[in-house]
Amino acid sequence: MKKFTNLLFKEIRELINKQLIFSLLFTMIIFYFIGQVTRTEAKRAETARRIGVLDLDKSAISRGLLDNLRLVRFQIEEFETIDKEEALRQAREKNLTFLLVIPSGLNEGVEKLETKEIETYSFLRSFSIGQARYSDIFKIILETANNYLSNEMLKKKLPEISPENLKKPLKSRDFVIVRDKKAEASASAIVGFMYAQSIFVPIVLFMILIYSSQMVISAIALEKQNKTLETLLTVPISRSAIVAAKMLAAGLVGLLSAFIYMAGFSWYMKGFTGDLAETAGGITKIIKELGLTMTTSGNLILLISLFLAIMCALAMATILGVLAEDYRSAQSLLLPLMLLVMIPYFLSIFTDFKSLSLPVRILIYAIPFSHPFMTTQNILFHNYRAIVFGILYMLIVFIILVILAARIFSTDRVLTMKLRWRRREVVL
Amino acid sequence: MGVVLEVEGLKKFYGQFEALKGISFEVKEGEIFGLIGPNGAGKTTTLRIIATLLTMSEGKVKLLGYDLKENPEKFRENISYLPEEAGAYRNLTGLDYLRFMARFYNFSPEKTADFVERAIAIAGLGNRLKDKVGTYSKGMVRKLLLARALMTKPVLAILDEPTSGLDVINSLEVREIIKSYARQGLSVLLSSHNMLEVEYLSDRVALIDQGKILAVGTPQELKQRYDAPNLEVVFRRIVQ
Ligand SMILES: Nc1ncnc2c1ncn2[C@@H]1O[C@H](COP(=O)(O)OP(=O)(O)OP(=O)(O)O)[C@@H](O)[C@H]1O
Ligand SMILES: [Mg+2]
Repeated sequence: MKKFTNLLFKEIRELINKQLIFSLLFTMIIFYFIGQVTRTEAKRAETARRIGVLDLDKSAISRGLLDNLRLVRFQIEEFETIDKEEALRQAREKNLTFLLVIPSGLNEGVEKLETKEIETYSFLRSFSIGQARYSDIFKIILETANNYLSNEMLKKKLPEISPENLKKPLKSRDFVIVRDKKAEASASAIVGFMYAQSIFVPIVLFMILIYSSQMVISAIALEKQNKTLETLLTVPISRSAIVAAKMLAAGLVGLLSAFIYMAGFSWYMKGFTGDLAETAGGITKIIKELGLTMTTSGNLILLISLFLAIMCALAMATILGVLAEDYRSAQSLLLPLMLLVMIPYFLSIFTDFKSLSLPVRILIYAIPFSHPFMTTQNILFHNYRAIVFGILYMLIVFIILVILAARIFSTDRVLTMKLRWRRREVVL
Repeated sequence: MGVVLEVEGLKKFYGQFEALKGISFEVKEGEIFGLIGPNGAGKTTTLRIIATLLTMSEGKVKLLGYDLKENPEKFRENISYLPEEAGAYRNLTGLDYLRFMARFYNFSPEKTADFVERAIAIAGLGNRLKDKVGTYSKGMVRKLLLARALMTKPVLAILDEPTSGLDVINSLEVREIIKSYARQGLSVLLSSHNMLEVEYLSDRVALIDQGKILAVGTPQELKQRYDAPNLEVVFRRIVQ
């Protein structure tokens, strides 16, 4: 055991080198800055809700219109002039993004059921994505105004009927059913929320898989490149202990770097979804009613599934590492493994596994890494058979791969691959 | 003098190619045994099989009476192997490397310190041991590796071309180290294609070519048997 920890610590020490720390830090910083920029951009869009208004009508109707805009959270800055140019100048000075000009005769137009024109002025100060949100603001203003004015017109014509009822004679109550549970909510809201909540699972999984495989494959390839493998293989420690130490060290360091990347990534994501938690208050209750929350045992199952997938990846990478002649070729050998992880990753994001045709599905199920990507859904929808199948399948694949890896490590192949490399070097 | 290592009828196939065609020799307690032969003779293959790195195709190898096929772990405990071309972990300091390797052979910190101390003396690298191996010259790495091979006082030290890549002065030093090691009653099995070096170092030598042993004996015996001034001439006479 002491020999094993001796080797394990050395492996970890080798893996946590300057390059790793540097690239981790670098990525963190990048993520942090992108997150910061997105957040300030989002804030800037918030301030765009402060709009300037030049009310030339000054009637009950125009007052009502402004009140309605305030109701949909617009901050209104009124100008006390009747000169449009002067209003524009003031708006520019106050750094406003919008100026809305309400024409005189709006009141009269409503009385006579006539169409009137309002003018809007947008001040473009950059072409960043944040500016694109201005067109949304535009739309909201127009919709709010139109809705209010048509209501007023209807009230004039048909005072005994509520205009809202007239415009929308049908109202719907939406229910969502998950298995045997029912709750009042819209399906798209639930799906959207679940998606936003579980988007992290495949990303974490993907990162851990890729990082740890890369670690173990380079650990073995470097051992060959630096010609230390031969010595290591003759010291009194079993071959399976060497394989296990390399896999464990890579798994641990891969896990660590994945967590660090995730932290950076969540910073970054906060830039987009910072207020998600606040607006989600109501929906979490519904989610609970539908039984769509992960229980402790559910999380445990997910963890087991994840762990097995990582072990499979590590065992596979170990074998690839033995095949590699040096560090560089190890990196390219990692490609097929990455592909195997990428396929289920993208499928899990863009499609539903169940909607795929049978041969494709069989292919996907045959990839051990697919299973953890499906586990969350399977847990929530109580597809226990699929979960058990996935876990057993990964376990079997893992055992076969480890036996294979340890086998290769105790045959000549570990070294003979290296010999070929050396001979080529002599030619050079 | 007891026999430490017995090799009998050792054969090795790489696919169809027969690299070793039945090799037999033995190494006695406290002796330096040299395998000499030209490039591709099968020296490294032989040493690798004894060092448990390669599997043999046929034959028998015994260390202190233990059979290689049945007890490879007994071999690993009692030998140490210096590969022909080897490196050390570049990110470790020389000292850390020695400590790391020492811990595989014992469980007490005192003993580890003991091993490392001996290695420091053998390597003769002084303060440079505190630097990372990545900054060492080829000769320094070689000495570090030799020190690590000998520090555990293995029953049999297997050294594949111990002086390869070293300059004259360093080669001399390494030869002295190996000689004084054998004087402590421990055995050395080494290979070289430098026949003069082996002649100077070895108590007994085996001439090997194309996977076969052509002659075994003390350098003195061989020179007399073939009436030659040195082993190089002996070798030429046998091959002709
Ligand atoms: N992995 C391998 N696959 C195929 N042939 C091999 C392999 N390793 C060695 N050989 C062949 O076996 C023969 C013996 O090689 P070996 O390395 O034992 O020679 P050597 O005596 O150590 O030579 P040198 O003095 O050049 O180190 C050579 O012909 C070599 O080409
Ligand atoms: Mg050789």
